[in-house]
Amino acid sequence: MIAPSLLLAAFVMCYPFYEIVKLSMHEVSRFGMLRAFTGTANFASVLADATFQASLWRTLIWTFFVVGGTLVISIPAAVVLNLDFAGRGIARAIVMLPWSVSLSMASIVWLWSFNADYGMVNAILQSLGLISRGVPWMARPETAFPIEIAVGVIVSIPFTTTILLGGLSSIPGDIYEAARIDGAGAFQQFRALTLPLLRSFINIAVILNVIHVFNSFPIIWIMTQGGPNEGTHILITYLYDLAFRLGRPGPAAAISLIMLAIVFVFTFVYLRMQARERT
Amino acid sequence: MRTLRFSAACWLALAPLLAISLFPFVVMLVTALKPLSEVFIYPPRWLPQHPSFESFADMWSATKFALALRNSLEIAFESTFCTLVVAVPAAYAMARIDFRLRETYRQFLLVTQMLSPILLVLGLFRLMASIPWGDGTLVNTRLGIIVPYAGFQMAFAVWMLSSYFAAIPKEIEEAAWMDGCSRGRAIRSVFLPLALPAIAVTGIVAFVAAWNEFAVALTLLRDPERQTVTLQVVNLVAGRYTVEWNQVMAATLIATVPVAIVFTWLQRYMVRGLTFGAIQ
Repeated sequence: MIAPSLLLAAFVMCYPFYEIVKLSMHEVSRFGMLRAFTGTANFASVLADATFQASLWRTLIWTFFVVGGTLVISIPAAVVLNLDFAGRGIARAIVMLPWSVSLSMASIVWLWSFNADYGMVNAILQSLGLISRGVPWMARPETAFPIEIAVGVIVSIPFTTTILLGGLSSIPGDIYEAARIDGAGAFQQFRALTLPLLRSFINIAVILNVIHVFNSFPIIWIMTQGGPNEGTHILITYLYDLAFRLGRPGPAAAISLIMLAIVFVFTFVYLRMQARERT
Repeated sequence: MRTLRFSAACWLALAPLLAISLFPFVVMLVTALKPLSEVFIYPPRWLPQHPSFESFADMWSATKFALALRNSLEIAFESTFCTLVVAVPAAYAMARIDFRLRETYRQFLLVTQMLSPILLVLGLFRLMASIPWGDGTLVNTRLGIIVPYAGFQMAFAVWMLSSYFAAIPKEIEEAAWMDGCSRGRAIRSVFLPLALPAIAVTGIVAFVAAWNEFAVALTLLRDPERQTVTLQVVNLVAGRYTVEWNQVMAATLIATVPVAIVFTWLQRYMVRGLTFGAIQ
């Protein structure tokens, strides 16, 4: 009964993987014809490529800040959403809304919102008197990349908050009562009770987010296509650029494999974490 | 605890997050309702002065939107169907049969779940380009995109289905065997009707994922006649010198709102599948 699923996986995963391995070890023309076998030459050229190095570094920054920022906002949000206040159902539904929008649609709306002349973000900042003229946010990597990180955080919050809410609802309420009787303040309760009990849920949220964010393509591709001056590329967008716009499938395949290796390390960590949870 | 002041404090604490969550929807709506002349006013205003549906009509005629909607619907339906055909038996096996290597299969699913199609997109493109089909290859065909979608949705679907299947009491099926039902017939007439809600939920999740997908579609569907709604909307923006933002927002609104409604209703069922059994 599991045979069809194995076949399907072999077809859409194993074979493409084999193709990528083959590409990475050959010199490849822009139209994908294999030429000479070159062994590790593609890897060597990729590792020496300054754009690759910059993209690798930026991928680390991207993953760290998107995942970190998401967590910093989601933990307090989940704690508040777990309290019993009037209209909680509506508040939860609103916080979950961005989840329902595809990454590409969200990216387009934010791109428009950050438009230099007619975007609503500049309009708000101007009416608050914070800026005097429209800021061309997307024209420079120094402003475009942090904005992309912020969009990454916004779209990751609903999923993370949901996981954390699941964790919070499993904590029995009477331990807080006991803590209150012992004279613990709200912040102390949070540090000594909530955080440790939530730890395994936080771990799972972090590792799943790391994997999603590391592979996240639409936000950067749609908002800046890795530009201006290749200043917002992360590995995945650089890979796509190399493969389908610059016509260099060989190096692109090498980057694919490097990224796959990284994802496997993350997956391994996740498996270990799950195994520990079970025992 | 539920005093008015307490509730107000909670809402106040959440206010920034709520504002940011709603902001894109507000921007979509107000921009889509503006005529073009009002979109490019400096400084920009929030509310349209003469709200109209002009941008929807313009967008509809300027793009192949009806065709794209049809493509998206067909691709999403067919890939959902394929996903379920593959995932339902596998999930049944996971939930009911104690086969050897079940743990290995579980880990295999997890690994395929972690593989994002974008990492393999180069290989996928070569795979589809190497298979002759009709006048050309599987690139630019519906089949060529449905199969990868089904493949990459499968792990999630198997996982979600098997966690629901496991909750259906075994005894019901066993009782049917006692009454002389064959195993196959017991599945068909006893198990499947009970499993239908779970299959429906999983199907909708797969449908939404296919509807929203971007990277694989961008790579495999190059012909404008074949493109999905997501691609069409992105093409209204990408690489254009002047973008008619009111039309773009009208299009994003159409692409987003139906999905948003379904999704909001479904998300509580989804967490189970997404976290892969790590959270009970």
